[in-house]
Amino acid sequence: MSSTIETLKEHTSGEYKYGFMTAVEEETTPPGLDEEVIRRISARKEEPEWLTEWRLAAYRRWRAMAEPDWQKVTYPPIDYQAISYFAAPKQKERPKSLDDIDPEIRRTYEKLGIPIREQEILAGVAVDYVFDSVSVATTFKNKLAELGIVFCSISEAVRDHPELVREYLGSVVPQGDNFFAALNSAVFTDGSFVYVPKGVRCPMELSTYFRINAAGTGQFERTLIIADEGSYVSYLEGCTAPMRDENQLHAAVVELIALDDAEIKYSTVQNWYPGDREGKGGIYNFVTKRGICRGRRSKISWTQVETGSAITWKYPSCILQGDDSVGEFYSVALTNNFQQADTGTKMIHIGKRTRSRIVAKGIAAGRSDSTYRGLVRILRGATGARNHTQCDSLLIGDRCGAHTVPYIEVRNRSAEVEHEATTSKISEDQLFYCRSRGFPEEDAVALIVNGFCREVMEELPMEFAVEARKLLGISLEGSVG
Amino acid sequence: MGAATRRIDPPPFYGELFARERTRLPGHGRAALDRVREEAFTRFLGLGLPTQKAEAWKYSPITRLANREMALAEPTVPGLEEVSAWFGGGPATRRLIFVDGHLQPEFSHVGGLPAGVRVMGLARAIETIPEAVAEALAGCDPERAFSQLNAALTRSGAWIELADGVALEEPLQLLFLHRGGDSAVMTHPRIVIRLGRGARLHLLETHAGSGSGHCFVNLVGQAVLGDGAELLCDRLQLGGSGLSLLARGFLEMGAGARLRATTVALGSGFLRNEIELRLAGREGEAILSGLYMPRGEEHVDTLVRIHHEAENCHSDQFYKGVVEDRARAAFAGKIIVHRGAQKTNAYQANNNLLLSDRAEVNSKPELEIYADDVKCSHGATCGDLDPEALFYLRARGLAREVASSLLVYAFANEVIERMADARLQALTRRAMLERVPGGAALEAEGLL
Repeated sequence: MSSTIETLKEHTSGEYKYGFMTAVEEETTPPGLDEEVIRRISARKEEPEWLTEWRLAAYRRWRAMAEPDWQKVTYPPIDYQAISYFAAPKQKERPKSLDDIDPEIRRTYEKLGIPIREQEILAGVAVDYVFDSVSVATTFKNKLAELGIVFCSISEAVRDHPELVREYLGSVVPQGDNFFAALNSAVFTDGSFVYVPKGVRCPMELSTYFRINAAGTGQFERTLIIADEGSYVSYLEGCTAPMRDENQLHAAVVELIALDDAEIKYSTVQNWYPGDREGKGGIYNFVTKRGICRGRRSKISWTQVETGSAITWKYPSCILQGDDSVGEFYSVALTNNFQQADTGTKMIHIGKRTRSRIVAKGIAAGRSDSTYRGLVRILRGATGARNHTQCDSLLIGDRCGAHTVPYIEVRNRSAEVEHEATTSKISEDQLFYCRSRGFPEEDAVALIVNGFCREVMEELPMEFAVEARKLLGISLEGSVG
Repeated sequence: MGAATRRIDPPPFYGELFARERTRLPGHGRAALDRVREEAFTRFLGLGLPTQKAEAWKYSPITRLANREMALAEPTVPGLEEVSAWFGGGPATRRLIFVDGHLQPEFSHVGGLPAGVRVMGLARAIETIPEAVAEALAGCDPERAFSQLNAALTRSGAWIELADGVALEEPLQLLFLHRGGDSAVMTHPRIVIRLGRGARLHLLETHAGSGSGHCFVNLVGQAVLGDGAELLCDRLQLGGSGLSLLARGFLEMGAGARLRATTVALGSGFLRNEIELRLAGREGEAILSGLYMPRGEEHVDTLVRIHHEAENCHSDQFYKGVVEDRARAAFAGKIIVHRGAQKTNAYQANNNLLLSDRAEVNSKPELEIYADDVKCSHGATCGDLDPEALFYLRARGLAREVASSLLVYAFANEVIERMADARLQALTRRAMLERVPGGAALEAEGLL
């Protein structure tokens, strides 16, 4: 516990400390989106014909779609023609080894506290580094390859494993799934690809670090993870962006596929730039994440700690198709100042004896709004399905809002569904207890909030849990007193 | 997903009907009222019929029912037994009785009221206090299409007014009998309740429908409770397959006002209860309970919205459902704590028994909170009967059917117990038991 306090103290001075910008020569397409731009992105990435057509089909669907307006967030209309859809640091070709990476980019990741080289050696985590629209480095590739695990950027996967990409891309989140997913399908530039073969337990955490750097761009990455029969993989994702007055759009799509007896654990620590204290700038994080438990006894577990972004709109979901499959969603969403978060999950129970568990913790401070929105649907054939949902909200200050919007739809009599939710403020008693033992108020609040989130934090891999705890403390700064 | 798909234009028969009937509506020729009706109808056309894309109607396919061509119901006269079967209260209970939306003066009796109490049919209110009626119709629910349709076409209902400090000790019953006919009909009753400071009223509202003829009832109730006023309300709704009952209540409560409403919506072809409640003064208290038991192909849904606008208020929602056969039930309850409504205490529970694989339960317990010093929680469950409880009863020699009926009875009775009027409670319990397979046997075997 004392280390928690220390790390919190360590950060009492800093606001968003990842807000710097890297001076690296970038190649960007001019703003605007039409079929020509998509063809150009596709050509630039030397993609096969089918993928170009797939993108164009998505684009045509997108043009006919309306932006969703049911979520509890407000933002000025986005001009999709003012965004540049491709930005990449200029480099002749993809570096052959880590030593060839542009030193500026390397320094960027060092400043973010994740030196590309050291990370590899010390932490034993394999990392894919995505800088604006492209993946700049992937570590540990060879070691993973010995086990038959494919971990690379999705562009490489398209080139080296087209049969896998073609089979699974869009199989969980179809092109026309929703407005932002359709946009992503049309213009996605890079992202990570993971394939874990039958019976292989991935020996290390796989991780992607996303960085938006260039101005006037959006980031549209696409992640595809396939866990073949009996395999296991744990995947982490982190992200940051420079501080800017403009709002930048991040519309990613993540698809997970778990076959028989496979397990995927997907953890996110989302720390995109949230905007300043007046609510100016920040990332619009409009993300579609969905996993399908296609196989029997498969399991998908989402854990997310959402502290960044001006607006968060994401609902990591599980389609529980295989009998006895399990879906989990653990979430902490912390909003401060003028941030808005509308996040939650969907658990669609199709197979027999499928089980799901949802633990969502929302913390709202300042003038922010935090909404949990979730769906639990038990279909007719899901005999013996179980769900337990717990949503707790904590309010700090009287100018913020916390909302809970659960949907429960049950069509099978043997199913058992339970939902509980509470909303309250930080307990005066707990605060008083901490204060009387000499904690400054801000530290006391951070301590209590960490306790409130414990159930979720415990689900994070250790490397991430430390970072996530720090983040909670930093994000809460200025919310009390 | 756009706003366009959330509504459809009402079919043309509404316009024809309004043009045809407006001169026959009570109060026609009074400029203020005519204007209110005219404006309300225009608003209705503008708002249109809500589709299932509209969030409040997500689980309620109302357009199918409201699109069917209907006429305003003509008056018919029922037999006494048909009416008296639904009597609640005691011998001194006053009643307003409506048959297919028409007040039946022969059966109704509201005489001997104490000073400061005014109870009358809506048509009479239009005669005696037309401005007040016009004002009440104009000021309610401007954004809800069906409320506007009601304001345009209402011709009967009740006007209940209690002056400051007055209490009506005996319950007052509003009894609606929906008989329907060979052709599809609709009625638009309106209930207006005004309770002065510290006034007290116990209201019984029963809806019974015997026929299978299509009858679309678009009821709107509006109540204002002054500071410290108290409203007790017991409601029973039970209709045939032809009855579509849309009952909307809009209540505003002053400081220290108290509401206790229990709604037992046993079933009907289509049944929807909406309660929107504003706790506008400090220390108000609202306890809402409900039970729904659709079976066959029935549809029952409940929408509750409680606005906590002032400090120190308390609200409690307790809704239970038993869903059988191919029936569908939906519950959408929302607690909205407005900025500044500190020290709010709000609770919401929705428990469902799903007793068939063809049935469906949808629950949406929502919280929307803008104040920090609050205690708000909700819980929702859905499941089958507890196998252990069943085993316990079976082990004591009860047949399977009797055992499960007993459990259903215990589950449902928790809500029925909350009805304040003993006679209506007994009536409701009997009607509930008739809906439970083997329910009648429970009483016969002396298990209750």
